[in-house]
Amino acid sequence: MTFQQRISILLLVLAGCDGGGSAAYDPDAPFAPGRPDADVGAPGDGAVPGADAVTVGPDARPADTRTAATLYAALCAHCHGPAGEGGAGPTLRRAWDDREALVRRIDETMPLGDPGACDRDCAETLADHLRARPWDAPPDCARFTPRRLRLLTRREYARTVRDLLPACGERTFRLDAPGARTVHVAGTFNGWAPTVDAGGWAMAASGDTWTLTRRLDPGRHLYKFVVDERDWRTDPGNPETETDAQGNVNSVVEVACEAPGDPTAGFPPETRPEGFPFDDHAGANAVTSVHVAEQLAAAERLAAAFPDCDGACAEAFARDFGRRAFRRPLTEAEVARYAPLGARTAARAMLASPHFLYRTELGTPAGDAYRLTGHETAAALSYFLWGTTPDAALDAAADAGRLDTAAGVEAEARRMLDDPRARETLGAFALQWLGVESLPTVTRDAALSDALRQDMLEETRRFVTHVAFDGGGTGELFTADYTFASPALAAYYGLAAGDPTALDARRAGLLGHGSVLATYAHSDQTSPIRRGLFVRRALLCQPLPPPPPDAGGVPDVDPGATTRERFAQHTASPFCHSCHRYIDDVGFGFERFDAVGRWRETENGLPIDGLGDMNDLEGLGTGTRAPYRSLPELGALLAESRAARRCFVTQVFRFALGRMETPDDACALDALDARLAETDDVRALLVAVAASPAFLMRAAEEEAP
Amino acid sequence: MNRRDLLRLAALAVPAALAGRARAQSARARRFIVFYYPDGVAGPSQEGMGSAWHPTGRDGAIQLTEQTAPLADFARDCVFFRGLSMGPTDAGSHPGGAQKLLTAVDHGQGASIDQVLAQSVGRDAPHRHVYLGAMANQNNASGDKHISYPAAGSSTPPEDDPRRAFARLFGAAPEPVADRGRQSVLDVVLADLRDLRGRLGAGERARLDLHVEAVREVERRATAVVPEACGAPESLGAVDDRLYEPERFPAILRAQTDLLVQAMACGLTKVGVIQASHHTSELVMSRFPGTPMHDPGFDMRSHQASHYGARHDPARAEFRAYVQQRAWWTQQFAHLLGELRARPEGDGTMLDHSVVLLCTEVCDGNTHLHDDMPFVLAGGAAVGVRTGRVIDVGGRRHGDLFASIGRALGAGFDRFGQDSQGPIPGLLA
Repeated sequence: MTFQQRISILLLVLAGCDGGGSAAYDPDAPFAPGRPDADVGAPGDGAVPGADAVTVGPDARPADTRTAATLYAALCAHCHGPAGEGGAGPTLRRAWDDREALVRRIDETMPLGDPGACDRDCAETLADHLRARPWDAPPDCARFTPRRLRLLTRREYARTVRDLLPACGERTFRLDAPGARTVHVAGTFNGWAPTVDAGGWAMAASGDTWTLTRRLDPGRHLYKFVVDERDWRTDPGNPETETDAQGNVNSVVEVACEAPGDPTAGFPPETRPEGFPFDDHAGANAVTSVHVAEQLAAAERLAAAFPDCDGACAEAFARDFGRRAFRRPLTEAEVARYAPLGARTAARAMLASPHFLYRTELGTPAGDAYRLTGHETAAALSYFLWGTTPDAALDAAADAGRLDTAAGVEAEARRMLDDPRARETLGAFALQWLGVESLPTVTRDAALSDALRQDMLEETRRFVTHVAFDGGGTGELFTADYTFASPALAAYYGLAAGDPTALDARRAGLLGHGSVLATYAHSDQTSPIRRGLFVRRALLCQPLPPPPPDAGGVPDVDPGATTRERFAQHTASPFCHSCHRYIDDVGFGFERFDAVGRWRETENGLPIDGLGDMNDLEGLGTGTRAPYRSLPELGALLAESRAARRCFVTQVFRFALGRMETPDDACALDALDARLAETDDVRALLVAVAASPAFLMRAAEEEAP
Repeated sequence: MNRRDLLRLAALAVPAALAGRARAQSARARRFIVFYYPDGVAGPSQEGMGSAWHPTGRDGAIQLTEQTAPLADFARDCVFFRGLSMGPTDAGSHPGGAQKLLTAVDHGQGASIDQVLAQSVGRDAPHRHVYLGAMANQNNASGDKHISYPAAGSSTPPEDDPRRAFARLFGAAPEPVADRGRQSVLDVVLADLRDLRGRLGAGERARLDLHVEAVREVERRATAVVPEACGAPESLGAVDDRLYEPERFPAILRAQTDLLVQAMACGLTKVGVIQASHHTSELVMSRFPGTPMHDPGFDMRSHQASHYGARHDPARAEFRAYVQQRAWWTQQFAHLLGELRARPEGDGTMLDHSVVLLCTEVCDGNTHLHDDMPFVLAGGAAVGVRTGRVIDVGGRRHGDLFASIGRALGAGFDRFGQDSQGPIPGLLA
């Protein structure tokens, strides 16, 4: 198809689609003649490439070498669904008897509005694909995620080093004393106690090495080791000493506690592929030299918190810290690699090592697939539920083989959900799921101060966490008559302060959160489109195609009209409305809230029409209607929606797995969805995800040809 | 680094001395710079009006348009194109255009030209690749909103904070003697990478190879010497913590531009990308102080203005603003060219030794089509680019432009991306 034909058809589509109230594009709509002309450049000079031409990097990839599935995913899935089930466009799961007619229709009209994206070869490939009815085959429930690495996100890195580093003032004393019966620490902090009974800090022996970890108060401390309560020695692992007036040499330790800054402040943000809302996508993030420079600098800063030592002390340190940093015991080769560096440099190297920066999901062979090892399982659980490294109990469970069964994993997951770290991680999940993390950087009216933005994020974090851990079921996410607004935010909303804060009849659940309302807006006006898309994408997992060429943009700010009137006019044409009915009609019901999340009765002096329609709630193209007059009414619809529940399950699954779901995940998602339907308990869902084969099993990675 | 340090560094900067140093150090330097801005231009309109952006004319007599007028003083340093296409896939889409823009492969399924050149042209510089943004990560922008692809399928984010970029490039001068631990750390990290790599399948091995390359690059920096006179450009002093306020945008973009030129003049890098905002930009350009677009009473965003209507209608506020905005982007590009041209190098200037590309992800911002793309190639006279012309390439892929750049810079390839035929005839001497 030539460019001119393409333009012509595009205009035809724009002008000729009758729409006529049908729920979706009609592929059988007749075509009428249209504009023939479009201004394009002059023909080229047809140059020949150099005879010595070499191709590097990305090779040319002609369309006919792409698989049908790839083409389908790129060109068709937006409208017709990832598995042909339909969406903004009709279902493709039907018989296609006339191959030539199908090829011609795809070639000439698809993708709708941009048929040039699929030429004749492409159309033939896709037609054969559709005619083979690829979706009649059941999903392959045993097709798992390939074995892979998962780079720690900034969130995970920061939380991890907080757990790995000694707490402020924490010191580990260590002495090699062969043949000793007791060793204790005496110093200014315990009145130079000559014996353990007198208050000396007893050290514990492992072979000939005696150790003790204690937390010291900020300040300057002098100390010595006392062997068998008579032999006073300075700390051989600490070069800092001081000689007192009597000529006694004592070891010195200084403790200064400063609030630690964010160790990842200079790290590049994570890459999130379009449609994937979370920071932990496993495949999209590669380490660049900017990452490496920042990782090395952070490792150097952080390692300074450890006391230095050499020899046996360094080896013990390497085994102990290495085990925690690498989330598994070190091999002897690794011990031999790290111990000679000395303790502090070993810590620095470990914090820059790929064994620390990536979690492995390589597993051990189990039938045709791989099962995560015990320690990999511990790390997977820990980062999913806590966003940080395993604790000692989880590590011990891995050592004891208790994570090799689903029951063992469930038991650990239940224990972990009682820990505050689980709430912290669910709060991070909530902001990412709802896409509101960007609120601090968006351009909005000055009334939305930096402090209010932070209060709004905290509101959403606390609310979702409360519903999940202390609330009455997932429906409450949309229907709760309470929230957690700071006094300033409550005043901003026009509510009486309180914790929890009681809502009025205008807001319900997270739909009325300022974070949601202000994120999905423009700098000086609301956006029914962005709010409608938020409901479709984040809450219902119903993807919509990107706008076609010539779609037009945001309507002008017209002082004589409401936003709703301007947008309604803008998308009134049947062609636009065929998609925008799924978007704007949902978003219009938010119009009583302005672009910074405040209630409003009028806009430009005109009364606001706050009627929305949560149409096609359980699936695009189902043709249902559900008019609603307020956010509490919309919330009630979503709370009862199977699609919303399934979507919540899907979002948790994406976050846990670090990838988008595939059609083969249908079995896993069905099981998890059933679990949530049965329990209506987010905690039970999290446990079920952690114990699911999708979470614990991996497939062999394809080898290079 | 705090503000006081920055001001101190700014006071140390001596641009004239730097220029002399650059001349002495790198008479044969070859560089590549990309300057990206969002949301296209007022090109051929939906109703078929001819492009309002593309300059016309022949060698030596180029007629600029209102949107390209700020290049008046640089027309003899530039090549303008007609008929340069990014191919049909995703035509009509911002994301699809951004994915193809520097990769020349559909859906971003290839490494981008800047990253490929970083491996050859930029290889021996302390920083093989420098990617600076101005509000390019606003709104949590990611994925297809970033234009540089280290590997097929995945973009990488730019650095939006000029002060942090400065510290990374200039501030942390390595002290190889004082820091004995550093090399030990790198050795161990590389050994661990080797071990881990051996346990992986092909896909993850490729990802880890990028990590290895990145560690080696940082390792080489230990021997790099930052010339003493290389301090902060003056414009860095105008940047503060307000990185995501539109009023601050011009100062941030200026600082990033000057910083990149400074880094190149100091021999710290040879390949750089500047990304201003991101596609479908919410950047409120009417809040830029002291510009023709400035209108404190009314928000005009980039993407909003780009949908100016089906025809070029000067009576419409969107169209007027859009043209002004596009001219402003051109002016920022002209500033970059001016900075490069002000520094003598070899027999000419830094600009002669640098191939500089101006680009945006679609042609006309209203139709979003991917034909007749508004690329501008500038500089490179010393590497054989024949500038001062308008070339009609008749629908060739923009990968051929990248192939031409690769050949000019001696990068060792003659085709680039999808459906590439080779360098554009007549573009190079």
